[in-house]
Amino acid sequence: MPTQALDTFAAHLSADRQQAVRANVTRAHDRRTAILFDQLGDPDALRRAAGAIKQHVVENLDTLLPAAEARLQANGVQVHWASTPTEACAAVHGIMTARGATKAVKSKTMVSEEIELNPYLEARGIDVVETDLGEFIVQIDGDHPSHIIAPIVHKNRREIATSFERHGLGDYNDEPEVITRRARAHLRQKYLQADVGITGGNFLSVESGRLVLVTNEGNARFCLAATKCHIAIIGIEKLVPRDRDLGALLNLLARSATGQQITVYTEFVAGPHASGQVDGPEEMHVVLVDNGRTEALASDCREILRCIRCGACMNVCPVYRQASGHAYRSVYPGPVGAVLTPLLAGKQFPAYADLPKASSLCGACNEVCPVDIPIPDLLLRLRDRGKREGAPAAKVGTPPMGAWALLASQPTAWKAALAGGAVINHLPTKLLPIPALQSWTSTRTLPEWRGGHFRKWMKSRPQPQA
Amino acid sequence: MATCLCDAFFDDVARATVEVLEHLGCTVEFPEGQTCCGQPAFNSGDWPASRKVVRHTVRTFAGDAPVIVPSGSCAAMLFHGAPLEFESEPDLGDVAALGHRTWELADFIVNGLGVTTWPGRCDARVAFHRSCHSRGTPSGEAALQLLESITGMTVLPFGEADQCCGFGGTFSVGFPHISAAMGNLKLDHVRETQPDLLVSADMSCLMHMGGLAEKAGNPIPTRHFAQVLRDALTPA
Amino acid sequence: MSSSRDQILARVRAALDPLPERAPLPDWDRELVRLRTQAPPTDLWTQFAERLTNVNGTPLTDVAALVALLEANGWTHGYCDPALWPELQPAFPDSITVETAFDRSRVDDYAFGITAVTGAIAETGTLILGDLTTSRRLAALTPWTHVAVVRRAQIHPDIPSAIAAFPDDPNLVWVTGPSKTADVEGILVEGVHGPGCQVALLLG
Repeated sequence: MPTQALDTFAAHLSADRQQAVRANVTRAHDRRTAILFDQLGDPDALRRAAGAIKQHVVENLDTLLPAAEARLQANGVQVHWASTPTEACAAVHGIMTARGATKAVKSKTMVSEEIELNPYLEARGIDVVETDLGEFIVQIDGDHPSHIIAPIVHKNRREIATSFERHGLGDYNDEPEVITRRARAHLRQKYLQADVGITGGNFLSVESGRLVLVTNEGNARFCLAATKCHIAIIGIEKLVPRDRDLGALLNLLARSATGQQITVYTEFVAGPHASGQVDGPEEMHVVLVDNGRTEALASDCREILRCIRCGACMNVCPVYRQASGHAYRSVYPGPVGAVLTPLLAGKQFPAYADLPKASSLCGACNEVCPVDIPIPDLLLRLRDRGKREGAPAAKVGTPPMGAWALLASQPTAWKAALAGGAVINHLPTKLLPIPALQSWTSTRTLPEWRGGHFRKWMKSRPQPQA
Repeated sequence: MATCLCDAFFDDVARATVEVLEHLGCTVEFPEGQTCCGQPAFNSGDWPASRKVVRHTVRTFAGDAPVIVPSGSCAAMLFHGAPLEFESEPDLGDVAALGHRTWELADFIVNGLGVTTWPGRCDARVAFHRSCHSRGTPSGEAALQLLESITGMTVLPFGEADQCCGFGGTFSVGFPHISAAMGNLKLDHVRETQPDLLVSADMSCLMHMGGLAEKAGNPIPTRHFAQVLRDALTPA
Repeated sequence: MSSSRDQILARVRAALDPLPERAPLPDWDRELVRLRTQAPPTDLWTQFAERLTNVNGTPLTDVAALVALLEANGWTHGYCDPALWPELQPAFPDSITVETAFDRSRVDDYAFGITAVTGAIAETGTLILGDLTTSRRLAALTPWTHVAVVRRAQIHPDIPSAIAAFPDDPNLVWVTGPSKTADVEGILVEGVHGPGCQVALLLG
């Protein structure tokens, strides 16, 4: 039976890489559990409340988006709208060209990976430097992040040291502290020489227009403090209704993502710098990106738009732990990616219809999700869609169900099959032309077929009084 | 509801379920027309095929007696999965009604009948695997509570107990490498405690883990918790 | 020809129109985010100092202690907000030199930067910086050591109260300890792009 691409990827993953991924994300998951339950009385109730806040946002984007735009504009922020990756990239490029800007420093944002911003800008002569340490390493390696919070969870220190040496950052040294100090020194100058700071945004408060940026490294702060123009790119779903709702979400985000009570830096940006402040942007732009989000909004899987990008789901997912992030072939790996990627793909849905099948539907993702997204239900809906649309990627490795359904709705046929199935006790399974059976028995034995025995026993007993 | 797996492979589990319920004073009916809860097709994304089977199940279990299932997975299909795939169907009401009176066995014993301790004896060190479909339901706790109450029984904790065993229905054949890796990881953790038995409330998980262990030449005895309860009543 | 804005909003409306009703905004209970503590709450500075220490920050209660820290580490040249310097200068020895203007072309000259806060949060050990109270953003960010001067009355008990008291400032930064990363094999390293030493100096 042909197997799924993601399974094949997992089978070929080097033991080193698999161990690195599993150890790192398991640690993150354990930290999440510890801090949430140590510090809060009822973390699951908080998750449900946060889920309700975000569901409200998702279902009211028609009024909240214009309200957010108005507030941003009142704060002196210029608002741009982009339906597609090209439009979003062009908006960023246009802002830079208007300023004669050629150098950008960038803090980590997954939406910028979605729109493939760096290649677009670089092709047009803009120098873009990733400042998050993990993303910086990804950039100098020409690699892709494998996790939305910890981009290089798949790399070890030796690989990083080799990359640094190759990039001219000093002789080979794989001490994490040395690596970090070298990055600090190298990137300082990049910030100070840059024209523009590009960030994403964790949340945008509709009430105040405050854009919230969370980091541990201080790179988003530096991107803003050192440059004169701030460009923030965010998905249209990143809104939060009121400042006070940030109280719920900020109490969940860092705990869920990295097991911290709060990240080292939480920045609330309500516009360009204050007039009395020498440092900081004199101009601020927000680019609101659709890129398939309205498709997701129109679908029966719109709950996925609650996602606050914490990574807790992929940390706990047993499939992610075995396969690693790159197996998902997309910007968003793990459980969230298995739903979001096919949805954002729009007409390219069939190409990603296999991702929702890469799950045993264990439900651990929903249990850790800070906004209580019912991910297994969404995966099931997407499986239904994959089948209805006849997506070949969804079909791979899936036993046909039509004949089985016929059998299971006709008791006489069912009972006959119970009796007839005993043949597999006598025939080598290799001879049976049932792909699912072949797949099963490649790694597991099959129990003895005992069809009919229970029914015979049940019938032979005294019947219950009516 | 015996479940299709027990109908085909694990007749003694279905038998133990009946015997346990009768011990508790229940009158157990077995509608002969039953086949399957419809989950395999549901998980595979073939919802029309699944709905066909669910409709048959609804007809077969007409009435208002509680439907008891020795499987968290099948029970969850009836009270969660089926309503999901029927949400735009005209007969959603009938499907939901069946779901409302469907119970996983351990949940029924502890929370339906109020029985929290189990008589008899079983001298065994047992690793208990709480299957994923009982996440967010009282079933896992209920089964554990009953097992721990049995004289002579030691239930042993093991590492990463919350992680899925890797069965996942058709996932086990569509993603065989990952499924086996997940199962073997769990078996490693379980074996560290050196249990006499690996027990669960779901035969699908046990069929997968037991099958992996046996194929690797290192079999591990598995029992459904209904069998453990039944056997405790007449200790050897 | 409609703009991207119009097209996006039209798609949003079309997506949401079929919904029979829209999910309401919950009036969530603030109790859900209350921190469970083993010990009964002490005064706000004590709790703040404890939480800051927990994340490897350095709470200090007098200028002498600050001077001792700077001298012990050889951090002998830095920056201070000119509005704060008169208060601190009497306790500073000549061996430590201070500029009250920040020159970004010489960032590496400043081993420390001393600036004021607009608030603090006790339950997290957080310092709240703002454009209106931080004399120079780069002075609070680029030196290895940042010294934030805090007054007792500025400390909020928790996150919800700090949010409720948001000042009208276009740039607020909640700073909770020294900058850090665990990107390399999950091993914690402090002092990445922001300070490696985060001091909170309580003055009155």
